[in-house]
Amino acid sequence: MTSKLAKPVVRQVKPLLSLDKEEARKRALNLYKAWYRQIPYIVRDSYLPKSVEQCRAKLREEFEKHRNLTDIRVIDMLVIKGQMELKSCANKWSQSCHIMNFFKESYEQKPKDFLSKFMDGRP
Amino acid sequence: MASQLFRLAVRNTTQLPKIFSGKQLLQNCIRTSTTAVHGTSEKCDIPEIKPTSPEQRVTVRKYDAELRERLTDFGRYVAECLPRYVQRVQLTCGDELEILIAPEGILPVIMFLKCHHNAQYTNITDIAGMDVPSRMYRFEIIYNLLSVRYNSRIRVKTYTDELTPVDSICEIFKGANWYEREAWDMYGIFFSNHPDLRRILTDYGFEGHPQRRDFPLSGYVEVRFDDERKRVVAEPVELSQEFRKFDLSNPWEQFPNFRDAPPAAEEIPIPEPKK
Repeated sequence: MTSKLAKPVVRQVKPLLSLDKEEARKRALNLYKAWYRQIPYIVRDSYLPKSVEQCRAKLREEFEKHRNLTDIRVIDMLVIKGQMELKSCANKWSQSCHIMNFFKESYEQKPKDFLSKFMDGRP
Repeated sequence: MASQLFRLAVRNTTQLPKIFSGKQLLQNCIRTSTTAVHGTSEKCDIPEIKPTSPEQRVTVRKYDAELRERLTDFGRYVAECLPRYVQRVQLTCGDELEILIAPEGILPVIMFLKCHHNAQYTNITDIAGMDVPSRMYRFEIIYNLLSVRYNSRIRVKTYTDELTPVDSICEIFKGANWYEREAWDMYGIFFSNHPDLRRILTDYGFEGHPQRRDFPLSGYVEVRFDDERKRVVAEPVELSQEFRKFDLSNPWEQFPNFRDAPPAAEEIPIPEPKK
């Protein structure tokens, strides 16, 4: 009976990049810094209709979205994807419309109060 | 080797025409004529050809028994050479050899198949992916290799999940570069030590991996040209009609001829390694 209860809950997994939390944190910070330093060039080169400050606020927002993550491998995967995104922005593979999609300006705001919901025709 | 091949060819030429030999055709003609005259075919002592036995059915592909035997032997040989990594060897569709391996062994197995004198699978045809969300390791990676020297193909299968990296085989096969990028783009399988892993089919800024089973058929965003902003904008998809699920099951049996068809995959038993 005890052997049944004492089953190992933690699974041994292969690390993606980082071996511990500190390393994953450093990678995330490095990525943030790299984006932060690249933003002025991105804004200038692809003629974004945004200021550097606005872009940096957006960058911070994107990183804050995942602030509560604890799984090292999930953090690593996001860092890898962020790195790829940064590379495509820095090499100008992404055009301004791709970069502007981060701001989600064209997304329609969902109606919140009763009257606008009613006017929108949604329950 | 050459003499062996020659012998094989000779044996094939002597074996193959048996089915459609002139003698048998003649006998068939005789039988039909006797049937026409007497109205019965019981008198004939020519053995009836059973239409249900797998070799005789015209619509079903015939397997070369010798090829099957050679592939079985080779599969067993691979399993004996790499007992640490090979988990299962099987023949699918009658004569396609598949080797199922653990993900740690992808480099040694591919190296063995490429460089071993008796294999020489020097050509990578494709790398495919497969997603079965109910499994513990949901993705399957399928490497298709071709040996021009022995005119033979082999399939190597391994497994992984969203967060487990797989070793890239770009060091061994330069041609695997784009195939692995495709697997990364479509499924999100991460290949470690890949020289240039990035998207290949989707647009820049695309989110998600389209070939995953949990990716919606219509996608998450749609793009259009916005006249006010003078650029292409993305918007979340809104469909006027909900996605409908049809029940396509049929109460009738659809392929009765394939009721006793051979199973899709036949396992080749691997002998226990000697200790």
